[in-house]
Amino acid sequence: MKKVIILTALLFTFCANAVDKVFFEQVIIDNVERSIVSIKQINASIKQGQSKKSQALFAQLVRHWKKVEATYMLGDLNEDFLDTPRYIDIFHGNNEDIKAQLDLIISTSDDLSYALYKHSHKTINALEYLLFTQDLSNARVSAMALIMAKSIERYLQEIKSAYQAHQAKFVQDEQFASAILLNTLVSSAYALKEWRIGDVVGLSKKYKDHADAQRAEYAISQNSTVAILSILQAHKQAIDAPNYKDFGDVARKFGASKEINKTTDYLNQAIAQVEKMQEQDLLNAKGKSLYQSTDRLMNSYYLSLMNKLGFISKVLDADGD
Amino acid sequence: MAINPLEYLIDPHRRIYWVFLFSSVVIAAVFLWFNPKKRRLNLSKKLWLHPSALLDYGYFIFISVFKVLVILPVLIGAKEVALWVNDFLLTQYGFVRIEGFSYSQVMVSFTLILFVLSDLSRYWLHRFLHTVPWLWAFHKVHHSAKVLTPLTFYRVHPIESLLFGLRYSFVIGLVSGVFIYGFGAMIGIVDILGVNALAFVFSFVGSNLRHSHIGISFGAIIEHFLISPKQHQIHHSKQHINVNFGGFLAIWDWFFNSLVLSRDVNRVKFGIKYSEMKYFSRFHQLIFSPFFLLFKSK
Repeated sequence: MKKVIILTALLFTFCANAVDKVFFEQVIIDNVERSIVSIKQINASIKQGQSKKSQALFAQLVRHWKKVEATYMLGDLNEDFLDTPRYIDIFHGNNEDIKAQLDLIISTSDDLSYALYKHSHKTINALEYLLFTQDLSNARVSAMALIMAKSIERYLQEIKSAYQAHQAKFVQDEQFASAILLNTLVSSAYALKEWRIGDVVGLSKKYKDHADAQRAEYAISQNSTVAILSILQAHKQAIDAPNYKDFGDVARKFGASKEINKTTDYLNQAIAQVEKMQEQDLLNAKGKSLYQSTDRLMNSYYLSLMNKLGFISKVLDADGD
Repeated sequence: MAINPLEYLIDPHRRIYWVFLFSSVVIAAVFLWFNPKKRRLNLSKKLWLHPSALLDYGYFIFISVFKVLVILPVLIGAKEVALWVNDFLLTQYGFVRIEGFSYSQVMVSFTLILFVLSDLSRYWLHRFLHTVPWLWAFHKVHHSAKVLTPLTFYRVHPIESLLFGLRYSFVIGLVSGVFIYGFGAMIGIVDILGVNALAFVFSFVGSNLRHSHIGISFGAIIEHFLISPKQHQIHHSKQHINVNFGGFLAIWDWFFNSLVLSRDVNRVKFGIKYSEMKYFSRFHQLIFSPFFLLFKSK
């Protein structure tokens, strides 16, 4: 019976042409692979004790990882992977003060395989703290950084393998693929607007009129605007790419050209703004303006979503009884 | 949105979509096959060319154009309401994504909830149209039909059309906004030709017979759950005008004590009080009489 309902539902719903295999390979898989390359390079650099190089490579890792995170759909393809990004990145997902915990671990001589027992101890946030505040020539710090890099690499490899295993599922159910991609973009736009910009500049509900640079995602390494730009670029890969069928093309097929063109305009505006921003600009008028742009971007995603539900704009014959 | 009334025949969102008309004709033919006594009235020119029916036909052309040109431009859309609801929830409670439900489960739930809440709101608006005096003045336009044809469905005052449009926008917008907040793009509707599958099925099984003289009953048990054509015809009778307000479902009438079953009524005479019928016999009266009667009653 369940099968009949599902089949009937799929038969009777409108048919969409979703983003295709090329998008999956050139964006989703490619971004993960680039992240893996970055973390491997960091690993090598840490082993060589090259502090400055590791810091530079960290910015590259942020650039690639944020793209993976902004388009992360694996949890929708297989719920076993819903939490995997949390094992790599704890921004806004964890209230604990890992800095104090890491300081404590550095100061003791406990076996690191036991001391770094928490997932949060092996995240990109923990790695940032070590690379930008600690001395990499310290053997214990270096060993800790290597454990973190290894852990990040392991989870990225898991993500890549799982994506490859679920590629067929993504490609074969076009309607589902469009839905999960749009959902990912909406939630990413919300997190970008509220957490990465609003909380810093003091425009989010939680921190209204209380700006604080320490709330920026990568306040320690000053890579927060790098992360923001990278997230926006991932959105561009998903809705406005010239060489493969992306969500923008799908939306246009649905007749949502106006909505998706607006979305693309807002996205391009936001990218142009971030490209001219320094880290400290997150606290001033530029940050406020970027907040407004990302707010418009998120709302335009919702408008595209409404268009998917074309029926809700129609006034059905329901009168006269 | 169709400005050409003939487009109503090819739009599945319309009550008189040709498929629904055709299915109603087939059901009516079967009914008349087994009830030969009813053939004379239902096939007579007296019915289809009755002055009230002719008024329905003319008024249908007027209201279909009027809706597009005047009502729709001032009507807030379900999309706007859904956006507002979603935005309100986001502002109040932050971003939420409900996990653990499959796409199909969400779609079926969304379709079902939309249908049920839409039908419930139709029930209450319809009931208010009867029980609130100034609303009843406008709803009399619909009940002033002396004979019922499928086009009597469209014999409604523009104010009533506006109210039903608002009802639609608010209910559909509210449900959609809540679902979008919880599930984002993972929602969809189980539809047939773009219409809520449940609404399509109920329209297909003879909703056009509600405004007709084909008195089909569903039997006492089913009539507690689904409104039959006969029950709606009872609603149009002068003696039982404040019962059977339901759209598709009869459960609302049952719960709120306004249900009358077909078996309990033998004879129906359509229309409103004789003394008021004279105010609703011409085209311009359908538009202006409600205002005149309201003014007169003050």
